[in-house]
Amino acid sequence: MEVFLTTLKSVIDSLGATVVLPIIIFVMGLIMGAKPGKAFRAGITIGIAFIGINLVIGLMWGTLSNVAQAMVTNWNIQRDIVDVGWPSAAAIAFGTDVGLWVIPIAILVNIILLVFKVTKTLNIDVWNYWHFAFLGGMVYMVTGNLTYGLIGAAVASALALFLADWTAKAVQSFYNLPGISIPHLTTAPGVPFAIVTNWILDRIPGVKDWKVDPESIQKKLGVFGEPIILGLVIGLVLGALGYYNAESAAVMILQTGINLAAVMLLLPRMVQILMEGLIPVSEAAREFMKKRASDREIYIGLDSAILIGHPAAISSSLLLVPIAILLSIILPGNRVILFADLAVIPFVVALFAPLMKGNIFRMMVAGILELGVGFYIATAMSPLFTKAAQNAGFAMPEGASNITSIADGFLWPQVFFTKLAEWLGVAGIVIAAAVLAVVWFMYSKNSSAWEVAAGAPAENK
Amino acid sequence: MNTPKRILVACGTAIATSTVVAKAIEEALKEKGIAVTTRQCKATEVRSLADNADLIVTTTPVPNDLDVPVIKTLAFLTGIGKEEVIEEIIKKLEGK
Repeated sequence: MEVFLTTLKSVIDSLGATVVLPIIIFVMGLIMGAKPGKAFRAGITIGIAFIGINLVIGLMWGTLSNVAQAMVTNWNIQRDIVDVGWPSAAAIAFGTDVGLWVIPIAILVNIILLVFKVTKTLNIDVWNYWHFAFLGGMVYMVTGNLTYGLIGAAVASALALFLADWTAKAVQSFYNLPGISIPHLTTAPGVPFAIVTNWILDRIPGVKDWKVDPESIQKKLGVFGEPIILGLVIGLVLGALGYYNAESAAVMILQTGINLAAVMLLLPRMVQILMEGLIPVSEAAREFMKKRASDREIYIGLDSAILIGHPAAISSSLLLVPIAILLSIILPGNRVILFADLAVIPFVVALFAPLMKGNIFRMMVAGILELGVGFYIATAMSPLFTKAAQNAGFAMPEGASNITSIADGFLWPQVFFTKLAEWLGVAGIVIAAAVLAVVWFMYSKNSSAWEVAAGAPAENK
Repeated sequence: MNTPKRILVACGTAIATSTVVAKAIEEALKEKGIAVTTRQCKATEVRSLADNADLIVTTTPVPNDLDVPVIKTLAFLTGIGKEEVIEEIIKKLEGK
């Protein structure tokens, strides 16, 4: 296996992700039964998307690296880890050696777990398999062993199914989405933070009754939901801090502002192209899996994007954007400069809502907790993140800043897996898989109590 | 009558699920000979973009006091009930 993979890897490395991914997507589309013409077009589209993302990352990286360096000189603020955002993280994850295999692996894991009735979730959200590739890619980076990385991705896909099963009842009742679950590794890791926050706040007299009105938040802070304005303002502020004493300061500051505004609009557009290319494969995968899934009750696993429109998710994220920027400045030891993933905060908070009954104040507190911890995780993990980007063939200038993103550089399952694999090698992966199996077993023995703990209505017992 | 109808497709990010939905609508309606243009947006942007649309199709909750008909559906993502939703879209578009 390893020899085969190594040979294949050297071929792949010399061609680069922009050539290899189209071929892989084309072949995978054919295998799963897409029409040849469609599969071909899909492959080419994905290659184009990668080139587009690479161009935009280059613009963002250059702009942010330069201004970060200037800020260090001026203010001695060490914020040299650039948040390149989940669109970049997803492209990186699919572009790593693990990413090339993640779709068939995750489908296989899902079908096996369904057949043996371990999970109820059929994860048709092929797009978000990138999270598994990301985690597997990290494991590959620390162990140097591609097989371990692939196993890591498989365990990650199982973890997503577990989290989806566990939170399904809560999601279905709070968001009114019968038959749906959310196997999304950016959203579900937040549930423990929500549980802890609730436990603490319930014990503080007075505070436990605090509430915030969603309508007024959306009216007053709506600007934080507009990426291009946000990008412009952040660019201008960073530019002012970095270049106020530079030659032709005004030009530099204004250029930083417009560059970052451009990134905020262009990066998601590039990812739309990537999505478009993945559609034929994800549709074929969906049909492929549905045919093989049994007839008993299953949940359809979807992207947490379907939750994000809820007023509780929108309002608490709008509050969290300025708070997160503030945290990135004041937290001692943090080196992350938040930028592209400010738009991803709704994903982080979406699963707090059922547990907190949509209480925006509480969601905000839990968000501060999760992001606060996240800054340190991201600071520690950024060298690996950067290495993964290089593995995926993204152009990194020598000596440039390291990179991270809230999804998934800020999250605990990713660091938990990677560190275990780093310390213990293959034993670490086995331990991670064993922990997951034990937790899953405990859940299956007492599922209704677990589901209530995640925010499902208690009367369902 | 010949100008294409404008459909606003909303989801959480204007990237992931709305791309799937927009492409599915375009394809399905093209097969039936109906010309449409789609535009993707985030749930937060629906209110400001609704004026320029004949119909809103969304995968996530959006405000319910808009002047434009709204269809909230997961059918394009799950594949369940897709035909019915396409019929509904056509009916709503022709009703305008």
